[in-house]
Amino acid sequence: MSIPESIRERLSQALIEGDADAAEAAALEALQADLDPLAVISEVMIPALTEVGNQFQCGDIFLPELMMAGEAAERVSKHLEAAIAAQGRTTTALGIVVMGTVQGDVHDIGKNIVATMLRAHGFKVVDLGRNVAPSKFLDAARANGADIVAMSTLMTTTRPQALNTLNLFREVGARDQYALIVGGGCVTETWANEAGFDGYSADAAGAVELCKKLVNKN
Amino acid sequence: MQSNWLIEIMKRAQTGPFMKENEFDLLLAKRIKALVKQYGIQYDPNNLVPADDGLADRVFQAALDLFVDVGVYCQTTERCIRFSRDEVLALVAQARSEIVLGTGKDAVVMRHRGVEDPQRAVMHSGPTGTPCTERYHPLILLSCAQEPLVDCLGAGSVSTYFGAKILPGSPLEILGSRRDAGVAREAVRMAGRPGMHINDVAVSLTCAGKMAALDPAAGLRPSDGFLVSQMVELKTDFDQLSRVAALYNYGGVIVDLMTPLIGGVGGAAPGTAVVSVADHLLGVVLYDADYHMFSLTHLHYVNNTDPLGIWVQAVVGQALARNTPIVALNDIYVVSGPGTKELLYECAVGAIVGTVCGFNMQGAGTTGGFRADHTTGLEARFIAEVSRASLSLSRADAAGWAQALLPRYQETLTNPNRGKPFPEVYDVETVQPKEEWLAMYHAVKDELAGLGLKFGNP
Repeated sequence: MSIPESIRERLSQALIEGDADAAEAAALEALQADLDPLAVISEVMIPALTEVGNQFQCGDIFLPELMMAGEAAERVSKHLEAAIAAQGRTTTALGIVVMGTVQGDVHDIGKNIVATMLRAHGFKVVDLGRNVAPSKFLDAARANGADIVAMSTLMTTTRPQALNTLNLFREVGARDQYALIVGGGCVTETWANEAGFDGYSADAAGAVELCKKLVNKN
Repeated sequence: MQSNWLIEIMKRAQTGPFMKENEFDLLLAKRIKALVKQYGIQYDPNNLVPADDGLADRVFQAALDLFVDVGVYCQTTERCIRFSRDEVLALVAQARSEIVLGTGKDAVVMRHRGVEDPQRAVMHSGPTGTPCTERYHPLILLSCAQEPLVDCLGAGSVSTYFGAKILPGSPLEILGSRRDAGVAREAVRMAGRPGMHINDVAVSLTCAGKMAALDPAAGLRPSDGFLVSQMVELKTDFDQLSRVAALYNYGGVIVDLMTPLIGGVGGAAPGTAVVSVADHLLGVVLYDADYHMFSLTHLHYVNNTDPLGIWVQAVVGQALARNTPIVALNDIYVVSGPGTKELLYECAVGAIVGTVCGFNMQGAGTTGGFRADHTTGLEARFIAEVSRASLSLSRADAAGWAQALLPRYQETLTNPNRGKPFPEVYDVETVQPKEEWLAMYHAVKDELAGLGLKFGNP
């Protein structure tokens, strides 16, 4: 069954405006109308959140709007994923990204923005927070079957910890099992390439494109 | 600060309402949005320096409401530290309105400044925590300390110790911190100003590292200070509170560093202004700061010289000047680098707007912190000169200057000219600006004078 225009429009608008209550109501209505929850995700939710991400990247909206859209999406996802599970089906994320701010670095706003944008584009994100030890990246990558391990570092003094994390993956023979990427204020493409990372991005939109490229490679 | 106030803060940090950090961020964002609407705070792109006392006062009231409603998030305990309105107002009323920085003949008194205040702003030089190499950091500091109009010395962030990478919380952080405190002490001595206030040692990211810099003989004296940071927005942790305790007991100067983001949790310019004033309240209430370093930057460009940044600085400065007695310092952050005219235009806007709206001066944070060693003493000289030339300006004049100067660099905000590193614009033997950089400085200064800025105020 195709998604009626009225539900599509209301859900999309509510997600873009970050109106969690309205988004939840539209999602419940979609489920009551026996619409395919997977179709609601792929045809309405992901395009709406992609639009939010694009607006943020262009500077048309700011972090609060992005956060509120993220909150609305989370509320909607809970219902849609429960319905998918009840049908005995599973959601298929674009890929699984384990991410965090490296050990010693407490600056996490950039990492949070990237996490929100990745979720908006259909990735499953396991956010380890800030000040994450190398072994925690490794454990989480293994436990979650990650495709990508993403590290963020703002300060030049914490940048070596990204390298230490990369080296740990090498030492335990796990380097080739995951794509390891890095970003943050002090990181340049040259540094990331020389250190041996699989990718670097200067901003959130670039990080999404990078992750899409990397999961397609895998 | 009452001697038992930190005990009370620790108690509240452990017993305040529990909240996950993302929930606090969302609460903050929603409350800011509501307060901006409630108080009718609006950004006007056609007037970046509003001469509107009512607007400044409404921004302060909104910030006070915000601070009382949401409090401060303690990342260590995941709890909100909250204060009553009466407590906040009492502590703001008691806050320091002036502080002696440095010692002997090099000491300066940094004061609370009012809107369109004729008293001169105290000048803190760069580097403003921006990256520097071991090789050039000492020369960069000397280039700043030797500038006659610079009153206080900033610090660069050096990421190595004899070539080895410094990790936070490691022994090398302690050694790097002690080295850089010594380098700064030597820079002011070599400049013939041994008593000059040093405002930070930036290499260290932990309390232990900062404390290692405290050394009356070869490091930071009680007449110096270091930064006690806030995490964006309205957040602290035990490491930062421990710095307060250390400085408080040592007798050192407590410098409240806040780094609000334009386009961050506060959203657009009005919300960023509100949360920025609330950040200053945090510095008063939690840190008992001696002065407050307002290091506003744009989320995308890492500067504060774009139209939104100029407006936020103008409004926040006025809100603080009119409603508090605190000593406020504006950290001018620019996208350009040394050896470019754009850097000087960006600095000029920051200096004019900040001076007229009640701030003391710091700068410049060059290249948004993206390039190592892209900082020199010459831009600090230029900021100090422009600031002094701005003392007789009104807010309407400052708005006119912002509109006149913005077109000279606005296109480079998205495509910055990062300029050249220190050894390419300064002679590293004489520690003097090279002819090209000096000629550029003179050309821009002459251009501003031609437009009516009266240099030479005492």
